[in-house]
Amino acid sequence: MSLIFEEINIGDVLPEYTAGPLTRTHFVRYAGASGDFNPLHHDETFARTVGLDRVIAHGMLIMGIAGEAISSWITQKNLRKFHARFMSMTEPVDWDDLDGTAKRATIVVTGKVVNRFEEKGEKLIRCDIVVKDLLGSRKLDGYFIAAFP
Amino acid sequence: MVDKTKVGFEFPAYTMRVEEAKIAEFAAAVALKDNTNEINPIYCDAEAAKKAGYRGIPVPPTFMTSFFFLTGGLKEIIRTLNIDLGRLLHSEEEYEYLGQIYAGDVITRKMRVVDIYERGKKDRGGRFVNVTVLETEVINQQGKLVGKVRSTMVER
Repeated sequence: MSLIFEEINIGDVLPEYTAGPLTRTHFVRYAGASGDFNPLHHDETFARTVGLDRVIAHGMLIMGIAGEAISSWITQKNLRKFHARFMSMTEPVDWDDLDGTAKRATIVVTGKVVNRFEEKGEKLIRCDIVVKDLLGSRKLDGYFIAAFP
Repeated sequence: MVDKTKVGFEFPAYTMRVEEAKIAEFAAAVALKDNTNEINPIYCDAEAAKKAGYRGIPVPPTFMTSFFFLTGGLKEIIRTLNIDLGRLLHSEEEYEYLGQIYAGDVITRKMRVVDIYERGKKDRGGRFVNVTVLETEVINQQGKLVGKVRSTMVER
């Protein structure tokens, strides 16, 4: 999909982007890809020493998934700014309890156009984004600014 | 207690090459794909990238994070700022895109501490968390500032 500036209105909602369920293997792959080997994301024994029941996703993996959603909405080279605030931890699916844990590990990225403006000769939109899991728990709040050359 | 004396501290600059395979690996990781045959071809095929209007293979939107982690940034901030890894939380991240980054580029990252402060916890009266804000300039081999990163870390 690619948006056309003239056809965008403030309040427009972008197509939902769903990802997951997230597994521990996804965390390990992201750790290797990004270089973030904080053991909190792959070593359950470490997670327990800091009071967690199990490993949690990298906040940056959730932001990376939101980045995928943005790339599905706009041409990536037109991205000007991307801001994220991490709201809560994301736990992976447990293979021995798929039905009970798939919802907490499946995330949905939503986007909404909140501004449409021109600056320094560029046509720009600002969109708010929210990432939640299927239980409704909020993982990330953020926004992006994209240009339409 | 927060150590305000570290505000303004500049970490040593690090330089690294943007490897083509690393871009594909990162793109697969954030797309939750098992292998790089399933990702958007602009992240692994120079021809596909050119057809899509890029000079080379571009990097995904959050790839700049790897300029921090792949150069040992996590251990570095823990040591320099005396942070307990078990209490460290990433609270905010922001990217400003000032130019494109392509496979083969040689990137230098220059990171500094721009703020340190205590923030009260909404849910726990009287308790504070330490907040550290880092800013990084991302510069390519031509000396062009291609991106800026602002990361907020919290010690809970």
